[in-house]
Amino acid sequence: MAKKSLFDMTPVTGYEKKLEDFFPMERRCSNCLGCKFVPFEKIKSNRFGRNCPSVWYYNFNLYSARGRFQLGQNIIEDGYVGWEGQALDAIFNCQACGACDVACKVTRFNLEPLAHNIALKERAVEKGKAPVELKAMAAQLEKQKSMLPDAKKADRAKWAAGLKLKDLSSAKETAEYAFFPGCQYAYDPDLAKKAKTYVKVLLKGGVDLGYLGKGDMCCGGRAKQTGFRKEFEAEAKANAEIWKKAGIKKIVTPCSDCYHAIKRQYALLGIDVEVVHAVELIADLVKQGKLKFKKRVDLSVTYHDPCHLGRLGEPFIPWNGTEKKILNQVHTWQPARPRYAGTDGIYDAPREILEAIPGVRLIEMERVRENSWCCGAGGGCSVFNPEYSDAIASERVTEAQTTGAEAIVTACPWCEINLSGVESENGTFMDVVDIVELVAKAL
Amino acid sequence: MATKDSLVTMLGRANVIDDPKALEAYAENHSFDLHFKPWYIVKPKSAEKVEELVKWANKTGTPLVPVSSTGVKLRGDSVPSVPEAVVVDLSGMNKILNVNRQHRMVVVEPGVTYDQLNAELAKQNMVIAGSLRPKAGQSVLTDVVEAVPRLNPMIQWNFFDPLRCVEVTWGDGTRMFTGEALGGPRDLKAQWAKQQWQVQYMGPWMTDYYRLVTQAQGSMGIVTWASLKAAVKPLIHQLYIAEADDLESLEGFVYKAMWTRFPDEIFILNKFQLASLLAEDYDVDELKDVLPPWIVAVGAAGRELIPEVRFEARSKDLIDIAQSFGLDLKEGIANVPGRLLYEKVTSTDKNEIYWKDDYEGSHQSVFFLTQLEKTGLFLRAAREVAEDLGYPTENIGVYIQPKHLGSSYHMEFTFPYDPDSAAATARVQNLVDALSVAVADLGGYFSRPYGKWAGIQLNKDAQSLMALKRLQGIFDPNDVMNPGKLAV
Amino acid sequence: MAMSKDFYRALEDIVGARNVSCDPAVTENYRCITAQSSAHYGPYATRTPKPLAVVLPGSTEEVQQIIKLCNKYKVEFKAASTFWAAMGYIGSDNAIQLDMIRMDQVEIDEKNMIATCEPFAIGGTVSVEAMKRGLNCNIAGVGCSSSTLAGSSGWVGFGPSSIFMGIASENLLGAEWVLPDGEIIRTGTLGSDGEWFCGEGPGPSPRAIFRGWTGTAGTLGVCTKISIRLHPWPGPKWIPVRGTAPAYFADGLDCVRAYTVCYPDWDAYAESFRLFYEADICYLAHRQFNMFGRDIKTAMVEIFTHPEKQFCDLPALMEDPYIKEQNEQMKVDVQIVMAGFSDRDLDYKEKAFDEILRQVGAHKSEYYLQQDIEDFVKLYLLRLGRKNYNYTLCSSYEGNFGLSGNVFVAAPLMEEAAALKRKWEQTHTGVAAVGGDSDMGSVSGIGGGGTTGWEFFVHFDGFDLASIEDSNAHIEETAAWMKEKGLGTDFGRWNADARKPDGYNYSQAEHDSFYEKLPQPAMAEYQWKIREAFNPNHLTGSYYKTLTPKEFRKGKK
Repeated sequence: MAKKSLFDMTPVTGYEKKLEDFFPMERRCSNCLGCKFVPFEKIKSNRFGRNCPSVWYYNFNLYSARGRFQLGQNIIEDGYVGWEGQALDAIFNCQACGACDVACKVTRFNLEPLAHNIALKERAVEKGKAPVELKAMAAQLEKQKSMLPDAKKADRAKWAAGLKLKDLSSAKETAEYAFFPGCQYAYDPDLAKKAKTYVKVLLKGGVDLGYLGKGDMCCGGRAKQTGFRKEFEAEAKANAEIWKKAGIKKIVTPCSDCYHAIKRQYALLGIDVEVVHAVELIADLVKQGKLKFKKRVDLSVTYHDPCHLGRLGEPFIPWNGTEKKILNQVHTWQPARPRYAGTDGIYDAPREILEAIPGVRLIEMERVRENSWCCGAGGGCSVFNPEYSDAIASERVTEAQTTGAEAIVTACPWCEINLSGVESENGTFMDVVDIVELVAKAL
Repeated sequence: MATKDSLVTMLGRANVIDDPKALEAYAENHSFDLHFKPWYIVKPKSAEKVEELVKWANKTGTPLVPVSSTGVKLRGDSVPSVPEAVVVDLSGMNKILNVNRQHRMVVVEPGVTYDQLNAELAKQNMVIAGSLRPKAGQSVLTDVVEAVPRLNPMIQWNFFDPLRCVEVTWGDGTRMFTGEALGGPRDLKAQWAKQQWQVQYMGPWMTDYYRLVTQAQGSMGIVTWASLKAAVKPLIHQLYIAEADDLESLEGFVYKAMWTRFPDEIFILNKFQLASLLAEDYDVDELKDVLPPWIVAVGAAGRELIPEVRFEARSKDLIDIAQSFGLDLKEGIANVPGRLLYEKVTSTDKNEIYWKDDYEGSHQSVFFLTQLEKTGLFLRAAREVAEDLGYPTENIGVYIQPKHLGSSYHMEFTFPYDPDSAAATARVQNLVDALSVAVADLGGYFSRPYGKWAGIQLNKDAQSLMALKRLQGIFDPNDVMNPGKLAV
Repeated sequence: MAMSKDFYRALEDIVGARNVSCDPAVTENYRCITAQSSAHYGPYATRTPKPLAVVLPGSTEEVQQIIKLCNKYKVEFKAASTFWAAMGYIGSDNAIQLDMIRMDQVEIDEKNMIATCEPFAIGGTVSVEAMKRGLNCNIAGVGCSSSTLAGSSGWVGFGPSSIFMGIASENLLGAEWVLPDGEIIRTGTLGSDGEWFCGEGPGPSPRAIFRGWTGTAGTLGVCTKISIRLHPWPGPKWIPVRGTAPAYFADGLDCVRAYTVCYPDWDAYAESFRLFYEADICYLAHRQFNMFGRDIKTAMVEIFTHPEKQFCDLPALMEDPYIKEQNEQMKVDVQIVMAGFSDRDLDYKEKAFDEILRQVGAHKSEYYLQQDIEDFVKLYLLRLGRKNYNYTLCSSYEGNFGLSGNVFVAAPLMEEAAALKRKWEQTHTGVAAVGGDSDMGSVSGIGGGGTTGWEFFVHFDGFDLASIEDSNAHIEETAAWMKEKGLGTDFGRWNADARKPDGYNYSQAEHDSFYEKLPQPAMAEYQWKIREAFNPNHLTGSYYKTLTPKEFRKGKK
């Protein structure tokens, strides 16, 4: 496929667009249980063998990817089920974390459970069936360009007060990278400090960095995850326009949600901007010797892979193909369709950073990398169903505690917030640390 | 007389016995349970006649008590617990109906003995997994159906191996095959013609009918043939022995050896039990002075396929494992070459007096299932009870046998006593009663609940008892099959 | 059918409102689309009936209360854990579905080699927990995503490991059952002493009625906990895995060897099975990859071991001369895995294996000697986590020419069965054209060897009605051919008498008409009596096969 121009904005075809496109998949799912468990060859215990927060919490089959495939049939094909009751509950209580998708692809070549889950949400949103909290979030996005409830557009750049960053908004200044903090880092007072730290660390490493100041907006990723496709697309296009105007070609973000949205979802819309997560740059700077850890940080940590940086953080691959049966009934994609198996996400960079910090001891949890357990915040669940979201976070904290580590380290503000202050099943808490805090301490 | 006439009409005069001495002899047994001499002994010669007999018993309300072995009756299971009973002696049905080398399957009638069967199997280089030195007249079928433990638990993937399919006439007079054989016509020859060798014992649907005749003491029906899985006979074999001062010292090794599956035979004996087994060749009292308190015996074998390689690998590995547990596994210990012990345990006892009776004239046994790590508890209990009652603890025989790949362990205490002494008899009776209760209290499991054990065991589990009664109501609705057994 | 409000309210009282639902989105989700599951009848595009409600019990006591309630209100019920198979689903409009997902615990008694498992402990997690302690469990051929308890209490349960580890029935020790009338029975030592090590007796085993060749498919109450026999595992606590999904490989499992045997003919194949049984050398033994079909099996393994490859690469791979040659050599093949419990043990097993191959004139496949391929096979068969590969080719499959029996009977018929399937592949586009022979199965369907279990995989598209219908017709013809050969009921038709094509239960009259023709009908008559004794209100559907006894038929009694 010919390389498009940077902001071509021609949507990539081939991939399913609307719910009806998934009907063959709904029928072809074989109910193997893959979407309820860590891939069977990677399971390390019964206790932490499950992968899908939704069906782990709610237990009814409906809340699994398989259940949603069956629900899709019931809605589309036979109309046995309407857009109401537990159908809606199951549709929205999905973190869109993609664990089911990764597990499914270990054995299946023609199913896309995550995309299907989101397609169900999108249709529900179109029908006006989204939870009120999510509707409010979408309205806030339109109004204030952020999905955080109290965010004000005018306050967007407050986080950067005192930083000497190039202002790229007017295209008067240029930089190799635009720092894109994302809403959490921009508006949450605690996280804002960490955003500054990110900037300082990157500058210290010699990165040519600027930002858009008040011109920054929400990436819209949450809108996509929650089924607000139109709002997401509008936001993505608006961002692209701004970046285009500002001449921005590369973006660095400390937020995994933003990273995923720009890397994968924008790309699907034809927005082909290069995005890196801050940990990738930091890891490179450490490797190149541009950042040197001089201080010891005596801490045992376990690293939580954010879904959107890990299994959902794989590079986008354009594809425009069709299905074709061979050997009478063997279903194929022609040409071969990209299989997002989750293994090409950003896993090594954060681990390399942690291993390079003197005194830090990394102890892995059972569910790591592409099989990581979601923090619970995805899919807007922390907004409209905090009890559920907290339960998922608690499960992760419990798992982290079994490692014996003193703290959980992560590289996503959503994960950081959701895992912080949550009790494990033993009724105890764990420190949750942004990876940049450890980096700053060690420099 | 109507009864006798009916029986004679059915089975022929020669096969109906009512000679008082014979009746008396059939009632003799080692148990202290209430028992009655039968009114008749009948000797049907075919499954059809057995079926006819059971149907007749249902019409007339006659209790039937099947017996297949000959010789001393160590337990009271084949002796009537009620008056007016007819003993069904199947020892004359002693044909080996089929031997199949390809699948190592054999089909035997109830009267077939170990010596008879092994002689036939040896022609095709096979052997049947045996129990610990049975009497010469022991019916193989009964031994297996009653789940008497095998010396080699490694070829027991199933609790009842080597038992596979049976033909049974249930207490209601219905005759049928079980397992794989139930899926086809009730005609063995027709099944063999289709290369069906009665290998698969389950079902054939969702009910394991054969399980209902196991450990049943003939209370559910009468088995008229059983298919059994034979083993390939070893070309090279050595029974190794390691000694120990106490039972606990053997535990680690036995667990590990079971885990590896390297042994063929594997069992534990205490000094007295070992000496008793060797009584033909040695004086038991003299042996008691020289033998170690405990031994574990472990077999290593090589069979048709590269026998030397297998034998050597198994031997060396077992010796190494034993060593890692501080045990010296050898080809024999003082006075006891492993080969001699192997010969004793794997052969039948052809002496007039059974080996367990040899020391004092008679014996009583208490046996049950447990787990290896708990055997010490029961040993202490047995010693304490014996001491309390003044029974010499040095005469307690102990035999521990892993079953079913080591899932459970048969533990057996043997108490020799002088049957001519009323005091000794009373003492051993009290001992057995007290120990049985103590065993049950400690969680010992009387899976084969003979005599009073039925009451002790079944009363611990009301639901299983109710289930059993419901099943007896289905398969023996008129309670003609060995009534009084499995009673609470 | 309407459900009593009181009945539903009582269910809420038992399990809590959160764990019961009659919302159509939930209840529709518990209808089995039988073409999407290897249902052993059909395939059909129909769905099983919709339950009145779905209940998620969290304990044995809750199950007991639910069943007592069902008896009071005369509502049918069925419990299932993974819903992988059609037999777990209800068969009437007046029924509730129990989903056992909340009961998922597994405990290991390392010393005594026992696992206790709740219904939703799957083979994958049980084996993982066992391996940590140097142990392993038999995983049914259906794969490690199936419930260990369901395989042990509900269905057949043999697989690649059964030659060494026995089948589910053989490994089942104690069990806790809530009977169809609501009483709880605990078998063997569990009932008397709360110990899990023996499920037999006392005396004749009541266990007999819960588990035969198959389990009772959820028709004799609800099994809430079992113990199973575990078996030795000489490898590390976790199977180390390398590679990129889906091309995962077992890494550095030196105590395990995996080979594929190529035979000159079916006689050699059968004879080698006899020798494998006698030599006692196999840890796992299965004809596995042939399930994709004789013409494509090597290409499929290539795809699975190369993450960049997909099914669109099949045609090119099939034309590759090297792969063609491998398929040719492996026309008659089997996968064998040996595990060494010591160096000497592994040495003996290797030598015995070589000797068996020499005696029957077979050889090891060179293709499968490649490190990656061997490591792929090890992981595949040890964990059996790829059983969804059964479905991956076309999205669905059903077995035909399937039996468990004497390999010396089956082997001479393999080519004839393959020709029959090839004919269908050529004349009907509904059946995937994979080379006729797509036989797969266990070298042993019983511990230690003795019977084998096999089936031909008929791959079809569950989305495509014509494909479903073609496959059904093909299986029907095979079943007729098998009848003609005197082979008994085809595996693909095993449940044809358990559930109607429309997904509903059979009536007793219909069952009577089937089973009165049995060569020994007593087997079904006694089950009728057992049902009357233990399931007096007939609340569990027609997977339980019953024939009204003669004395109760046609006006008698």
